[in-house]
Amino acid sequence: MPGSGVQVPPIALGSRRPRWTSASVQRHLFAYLSLLPATIIVALFTLYPTLYSLNLALHQYHLLRPGRHPFVGARNFVEALSTPGLYSSLLVTLQFTAMSVAGTAVLGTLIALLLNQPFRLARVLQVAILIPWAIPAVMAGIIWRWVFRGDVGVLNGLLYSLGLIDSYRSFLGDPITAKLALVVAHLWKHLPLATILLLATLQVIPRELYDAAKLDGAGTWQLFRSITFPFLKPTLAVVLIFDTIVAFTTFDLVFAMTGGGPANATTLIAWYIYNEIFTNLNLGRGAALAFLVALLTLVIALVYLRALRTERLYREG
Amino acid sequence: MSIRKRVLLHGAAVLLLFWFLGPILWLVSASFQLDNELFSVPPHWIPHNPTLDNYTFLITREPPPVYQGAEMGRRASGEALSAIPALQNSLVVAGSVMVLNLALSALAAYPFSRLRFAGKDFVLGFIVTSRLIPAIAVGIPFFAIVQRLGLLDTKLALILVYLAFTLPFTIWFLIKYFDFVPPEIEEAAMVDGCGRLQALLRIVLPLSLPGLAATGAFAFMLAYSEFLFAVLLTRTMASKTVPVVLSAAAINFDVSYALASTAVVIAILPPIALALLFRNYVLRGLSTAFGQ
Repeated sequence: MPGSGVQVPPIALGSRRPRWTSASVQRHLFAYLSLLPATIIVALFTLYPTLYSLNLALHQYHLLRPGRHPFVGARNFVEALSTPGLYSSLLVTLQFTAMSVAGTAVLGTLIALLLNQPFRLARVLQVAILIPWAIPAVMAGIIWRWVFRGDVGVLNGLLYSLGLIDSYRSFLGDPITAKLALVVAHLWKHLPLATILLLATLQVIPRELYDAAKLDGAGTWQLFRSITFPFLKPTLAVVLIFDTIVAFTTFDLVFAMTGGGPANATTLIAWYIYNEIFTNLNLGRGAALAFLVALLTLVIALVYLRALRTERLYREG
Repeated sequence: MSIRKRVLLHGAAVLLLFWFLGPILWLVSASFQLDNELFSVPPHWIPHNPTLDNYTFLITREPPPVYQGAEMGRRASGEALSAIPALQNSLVVAGSVMVLNLALSALAAYPFSRLRFAGKDFVLGFIVTSRLIPAIAVGIPFFAIVQRLGLLDTKLALILVYLAFTLPFTIWFLIKYFDFVPPEIEEAAMVDGCGRLQALLRIVLPLSLPGLAATGAFAFMLAYSEFLFAVLLTRTMASKTVPVVLSAAAINFDVSYALASTAVVIAILPPIALALLFRNYVLRGLSTAFGQ
């Protein structure tokens, strides 16, 4: 933290207390000076916004009623929790997150296994997969919006050309297909990184392990379960935490693809808050809502991290 | 490999290639068509009358004859025409973030990887967990900070915000990377009277090129892609970036699909080029950090 300088409470010191010899002072000076610029920037955009948000959430702050901002305590939080749209939006977000994370885990593992096979097309795919990864989420949303559209939609064109449908339909106009379309676009954009990380892990598994297990007569499924999967598990955990947080806070895709519709079927929580703030202009309530969602995200992350840690202790112990 | 397995693997790979590349190939095909051809049923997968008019229009901003009619003129909305200036803004912002991020995160990651100092775990914990706060939760305060700094509608504001976003990831990543560089070489150099900073610049950084390339590419892409804060903090073409301009064009029902598709093709070129050029570095960087 900036400003904490050399004086740091002894709790943070760990087991050994550094002795203040001249070499040690020099080392500390170098460390703090190197850290300072990055830490200031991160702190400016972390600590201050958090406090600011909390302050906003505890006051009445409505852009249509300027000038008066009385302290209202928990009222914004109570109001935020009693808006009916919140719960349907949370439900939609949970559905979307569950489908995305499950898709990432299963497809990510399968594609990584495929890419790890020795054939030429696998190497082509390894390069091709980087392209969706490199495309910004907003543009991925625009691209998929145009795939699913009812008029120029290319999916319609494809199904029509193949004779599977006889008239165009609007995939983004139906609540169920719109939700699925959003998941397809999300996976398209975010699967590649998961796959690349899983593939990197697959490539360090020693081949001798498989050879030995095969000598012992293990089948493909047994090889996967007792060698591949245990190796993949730590990376898989990182990938799943990451995707849970990304999916849970998805905003760009919704903006570019569906605008939350039809009938709020794709109103993910980030989109919901955005509209609360910028349509209703109730900053206090918006901040309270944002605060609650931030807490929820934090809880999800901590639960995962705890699970990971116990897992590691279990493995090492 | 048995025949059955070969067929299965190739089939799966072809399907995946189709899923990952199909939409982009269609986008490229659409950029060489005009709106009247785009609406044909079924679509012309390969343009029957390929034209460069969309590209010429976007780059020169001089409407070619086809776009001068009343119908097309209306559809050629200003948003699509701002694509090139927005691209320039995006490149300036993302390029600056990449350079500054590399300098700051290398400097910050080095002591975490090599030195024992008071408060180490605390500062690192703070930096890394700072990114757990979802972007939407800090939208209003970010706006307030930027307003107070007098930086609304400037590229500098975006650069600062994106630095704050990328640094926690890149510092964490570079710490892991530096951990793989054996410390013996710098120790030997320091015995010969080389200072810490020199050791970092002359020994650790050159040995970490793949990690730095991955870091730089990551910072560039994140800055190039960011959308929510770009929407909140920009007003005019002085600072609007590509995602802001293109998303506005995409949800505008009046926009010309052909022009908008062309703008998207142009906009996705820089990050794709970067990803493919730095492919080996990025992959090696990632596998070093994740292959335990």
